[in-house]
Amino acid sequence: MKRLHVGKRAALLLALLVIALLASGLAVAQEEKVLVIGHAESTDSLDPARGYTQTTGFILRATYETLVDFPDTDASAIEPGLASSWEVSDDGLVYTFKLQEGVVFASGNPLTAADVVFSINRLKNVKGSPSFLANSIAKVEALDDLTVAITLAEADPSFLSSLPNNAFSITDSKLIQENGGTDAADADTTDTAENFLNSTSAGTGPYVLESWERQVQTTLVRNPNWRGEPPYFDRVIVTNIPEPATQKVALEAGDIDLALDLTADQIKSLEGNPAISIYRGPSNIVHFLLMNQNPELGGPVSNPKVQLAIRYALDYEGYQELWGGVQPGTNLAVGLAGALGPDQALKRDLDKAKALLAEAGYPDGFEITLNYPDFSFQGVNMNTNAQKIQADLAEVGIKVTLNPGELQVSLQDYRSGKQGFGYWFWGPDKLDPVDFLAFLPGGKVATERANWTPEIAPAELNELIARARTESDQDKRLELYRQLQEYAQQNGPFAPFNQPDIQTAFRANIQGYVWHPQWLIDVALLSRSE
Amino acid sequence: MPFYLYFLRRLLFVIPTLLGITLVAFIIARAVPADPINANLPQSALNDERIIAAFRQKWGLDKPPHEQYLTYMANLLQGDMGVSIKTRKPILDDIRQFLPATIELATFGIVLGVLMGVGFGVVSAVWRNSLVDYFVRVFALVGVSFPVFLLALLGLSVLYAQLGLVAGPGRLSITLRPPPTVTGLFTIDSLLAGQWRTFSDAISHLILPSLVLGSYVSGVIARITRSSLLEVMGMDYVRTARAKGLRERVVIRKHALANALIPVVTVIGLSYGSLLSGAVLTESIFAWPGIGRYMFRASTSQDFPAIMGVSLLIAAIYVGVNFVVDLLYYFLDPRIRLA
Amino acid sequence: MTSSTISLTRASGWRDRLGDTRRTLLRNPLVLIGLVVAGIWLVIGLVGYRIAPNDPLQQDVRARLQPPSESFRFGTDELGRDVFSRVLHGARITIPAGIAVIIIGSTLGTLIGALAGYLGGLWDEILMRLSELFMAFPTIILAMAITAALGPDIRNAILALVIVWWPSYARLIRGLVLEIKTKEYVEGARMVGATDAYILFRTVLPNCVSPAIVLATLDIGNAILTFAGLSFLGLGPDPSSPEWGRMVSIGIDFFDQWWMWLYPGLSIASLVLAFNFIGDGLRDIFDPRTKK
Repeated sequence: MKRLHVGKRAALLLALLVIALLASGLAVAQEEKVLVIGHAESTDSLDPARGYTQTTGFILRATYETLVDFPDTDASAIEPGLASSWEVSDDGLVYTFKLQEGVVFASGNPLTAADVVFSINRLKNVKGSPSFLANSIAKVEALDDLTVAITLAEADPSFLSSLPNNAFSITDSKLIQENGGTDAADADTTDTAENFLNSTSAGTGPYVLESWERQVQTTLVRNPNWRGEPPYFDRVIVTNIPEPATQKVALEAGDIDLALDLTADQIKSLEGNPAISIYRGPSNIVHFLLMNQNPELGGPVSNPKVQLAIRYALDYEGYQELWGGVQPGTNLAVGLAGALGPDQALKRDLDKAKALLAEAGYPDGFEITLNYPDFSFQGVNMNTNAQKIQADLAEVGIKVTLNPGELQVSLQDYRSGKQGFGYWFWGPDKLDPVDFLAFLPGGKVATERANWTPEIAPAELNELIARARTESDQDKRLELYRQLQEYAQQNGPFAPFNQPDIQTAFRANIQGYVWHPQWLIDVALLSRSE
Repeated sequence: MPFYLYFLRRLLFVIPTLLGITLVAFIIARAVPADPINANLPQSALNDERIIAAFRQKWGLDKPPHEQYLTYMANLLQGDMGVSIKTRKPILDDIRQFLPATIELATFGIVLGVLMGVGFGVVSAVWRNSLVDYFVRVFALVGVSFPVFLLALLGLSVLYAQLGLVAGPGRLSITLRPPPTVTGLFTIDSLLAGQWRTFSDAISHLILPSLVLGSYVSGVIARITRSSLLEVMGMDYVRTARAKGLRERVVIRKHALANALIPVVTVIGLSYGSLLSGAVLTESIFAWPGIGRYMFRASTSQDFPAIMGVSLLIAAIYVGVNFVVDLLYYFLDPRIRLA
Repeated sequence: MTSSTISLTRASGWRDRLGDTRRTLLRNPLVLIGLVVAGIWLVIGLVGYRIAPNDPLQQDVRARLQPPSESFRFGTDELGRDVFSRVLHGARITIPAGIAVIIIGSTLGTLIGALAGYLGGLWDEILMRLSELFMAFPTIILAMAITAALGPDIRNAILALVIVWWPSYARLIRGLVLEIKTKEYVEGARMVGATDAYILFRTVLPNCVSPAIVLATLDIGNAILTFAGLSFLGLGPDPSSPEWGRMVSIGIDFFDQWWMWLYPGLSIASLVLAFNFIGDGLRDIFDPRTKK
C-alpha cells in the first residue's frame, strides 16, 4: 500500500470521524421514544361522536381537546380548554365561549367557531352512543370567528362538567366534511366519516392517531402542529392484551411500560419488585346487577320485593376481598359530590332476603339466567364476579345460570333493553351527581335498559327527579340527591355491589402517571427518566 | 393412466365437495340466532328503511333460504365475501391479514412435527420392541394425549415466565414493528428487509406454539411411520434385498423407506391441512393473530359473513391439501400410473 | 383417526382375532397401566367423588389462591373453592360427556353407514358425500361453530361433537357392510325370504359391532380432549362448573398459581393417555401391518 501524505491522512481521519459522528447521530435520531401501554381494548369507535368506551376515552384525550377542561388529577374544578373564557346568562340557559386565538388542527386548518358548531351538531345528529350527552343543547351558534353561544333547552347546572367528556371533542370540520362527514339533521344516515376518523384523527391534541388495528393495536404519533410543549414520547402504542396475566409478564419483561388491567392479585405479587411502580386509588366504576322491570323480560326479578331481596343477599364484603375498593351506597359512584358512602350502604342480611322472597311468593327461590359480557375491565374479571353472584344468590335459594356473552354481542342486548337479568359496570358520563339520574326513571340505564320508565314510576319520584335536575343551589341540590339515593336503595331495578380500586402497575422509570376519573390516563403527561 | 387424465379426474371430484362445504357452512352460519340486519348495520342506519332494504336485497335476505344461498354464491363469484361485523373490514382483507400468521405457525409446527415424528418412527421401527421403541411409542401417545392447552400453559409458565428462554404470546415483541409486508410471514419479510432483530424475535415467538403443535403432530406421524415401515419391511422385496446380502441400513434407506412414505405423506398432508385451518386453541392461548383465533371470535360474536368466509377458506384448504396428496400418490405409488 | 379407519377397514376376519385379544392385551404393560388408570377415573366418576372433602361449588373468598396444603390438597382457586374436590367432581362431567359423544356418535354413524352400505346406489352416494362434507372441517372448528350457533352449554357441546363424530363410523361400517353383504349367509337369509330389516339388523349389523367398538376405544380419548377443548374456550358448561377444561382456562389469568390449572390439566392428560394406551394395544392386534 502506498504511504499517504500526512495531510491527506489527517483529512481521511477527519472524514471518518465525521461519518462516525453522523452515523451515531442518526442512530440516536432513529431511537425514538416509545411508550407502550398494555390494555384490554374496548374501543367501539374512534369517531368522537360515536365512540363511547373507556379505551376510546383515553385515545381521544391524546388526540382531541374540548372547550373546557378538568385539572390533570381530578374533576374538582372547571378550567379553560380550547375556550379561554366563558359566560353564563342569568337564566342559566345561554353559555358563551371565547375561543383561544391561533389554535390550529393537526391538518394545519385554523380552529374557528364554525368547528365548534359543527362538532356539537354532528355529535347530536349522528345519533351515536354518546349523542345523548348533547340532548340538553337546543342550539349552537357562531357569534363571530372565535365566539360560540350554546343555548340549553332547560337550565342544567351540570352542563359545564359534561363538556370535558371526550364526546365533546372539537373536530376539524373542514377535514371531516372532505371525508364524508356532515352535521346535518340527517347525519345519522348521511355521515360517512366514521371510517376516516377510525384511521386518523382530526383534532388539536398533542398526538395524532397513526393507526388503529381493531383488537390489535392503536398507535399515536406526535402532532406536528401542536402548539404547546411537545410531549415526551414520540410514539405511543396501545397494544391489546386481553389477558391480565400476559400483561403482567410483559410488564415484568419490560415489553410494555404500563399495564392497565392487572388484577388485584397480580398487583400484590408485583409489590417489592424494584423495576415496577404501583398506583392505587379509588375508581369511579360501579359494578351492578340490572333487573328488568318488564315482567316479560325480567320474570321474578321484575318484582320489587325480589329486587330488594337480591340487594340484601349479596356478600358485599366478599367483593371487596376480591378487588379492593368500596361498597357504593347506590349507583352514584363514591367520590362524586353527594354520593352515599359505604357506611350508608345496605348490609348483607340473608334472613331479610329470604323473608322478602317469601313475601314476593318465592319461598323456595326460582331459576334465572344472568347475562354478562365475558370481559375483564381494569383487572376486574366479570366472570369471577358472576360466579360469586351465583353463589351468593344460591344461599337464598335463587338458582342462577350464567350466560357470558362476547362483549359487543352482550352490549347490544343490554343497550337495547333486552336483558332480563344482567351484570354490568358503569363509569359516570358526567362527574357530577347528575350522573345518578341515568339510574332513575327517564334516565338512560333505567328507562332504555331496565324499562323503569317515568310512566310506571310514582309521581312523587318523577317530581323529585325533575327538581334535582334543575336546582342550582348546591346544598339544596345535594339534599335532593340524598333523598333520591335513599329511595333507590329500597326500590328499583339495580343492585350495585362493588366499586373496585384502580390499580395500575408501570415500569419504575415512567414519570408523571396519574389516574383521572374522566379520561383514565393522559399520555401526554408521561415521560421516562433516563 | 397419463398424468393429465389423473389430474382432471381428481379435479372433477373437488367441485361437488367444495359446493357442499359452502352449503354446510351456510346452514351453520344461518343457524346463528343473531339478526343479520341488527348485527351488520350501524345503529344509526337501523331507522332508515332504504338502507335496510338495500342491505336485504344485496344479501338476498328478503328471499327464502335457498335463494339466499344462491345470492351468497353469486356475490362470492364476484369476489364479494361481505364485510365482517366484528372488524368492519371486507372478509377478504381480514383473511389476507390473518392467514399469513397461521401459515407461518403451521409451517413451523409441521416441520418440527415431521422431523421429530419421522425420526422417532424410523428409530422405533428399526429397533422394534427395544427400549427405544417403547420410549418412542409412549412419547407418541403422550403427544396425542396431552391437551394442547396444558402443554401451552406449561410452556408459557416455565419456559417463558419463569426461565425467560423463549418469547411469550404474540408474533413479535410489542416494541418491534412488523417488517414491510411482502409475504406476510414475519420470518421471511424480516430477512428480506435485513432486519435481523425482528427475524430472531419472530423465531423466538414461534418456538413455543410450534413446539406445542409439533408435539401433537409428531405423535401422529411417529405412529404411522413406525407401522408403515414395519409393514414394508416384512414384504417380499425387502426380504429379497436382505437375502441378497445388502446391509440393513441400505435396505432401509433404499428400499423400505421410500415405499413406507406413502401413508406418511397422507398423514403429513392432512395434519398440515388441519394446522392451516387454524389451530384454534393454540392460537387463542398464544394470542396468535391467525385464522383460528379469527374464526373463534367470529363464532362467539355471531359474525355471519366471517364464519362463512373462513369456512370457505378452510374448505378450500382441505380440498387443496387432498388434491396435492392425491397428486403425490401418482408419483409415489407406481400402481396408480399403471392402472 | 384417518389412519385407524383405513387399517380397520382393511382388516378382515374379525372374529378370529377377537378370540386371543384378551390374552394379548393383558400381556401388554401399557394396556395394563391404561386399564388401571382409566378404571380409577371411572370409579372416581361413579362413586369416588363422594370422598371429596368439600362442596366443589362452595366459595370462600377469604381463603382464595392458597397453595396446596394439609387442608386443601390441591390448593384453592380464585374464589376460594377447593381444587381437589373440584377435580374429583370434574370426573362426573368430562368422562360421561366423552362417553356420550362416542356412544351417540358411533351408534348414529353405524346406522348411517349400514344403511349406505346396504342400500347402495344413490343413497350410498348421498350419505357418503354428506359424511365427507362434515369431515372437511377440522373437528374443533366445526364443533365451535355449532356450539356458538346453539348457545354454549353442556348438552349443545355434546350435540356439536356428535355431529362432528359420526362420519368416521359411517365410513368404517359402510366398508364392512359392503364386504359382509356378499357373504354366503347373507345370501342365504335373502333366499329364505328374510326382510331387508331382518337381514340388516340380524345378520349384517352384528358383524359390525366389534370393529365399531374398537374404533370407539381408539377414539374416546380424542372425544374427551375435544370436549375439554370446547370447554376451555368457554363453549361448554357453566363457568362455575368444575369441568376440567374450564378449570384449566382460568390458568391463563393465573400462571403463578400453577395448582389451579395443573391438576385438572393432568387429570385430562392421564385419562386420555390411559384410553390411548388401551387403544394402542387394540390397534397392535388389529393392524395387519404391525402384526408379527
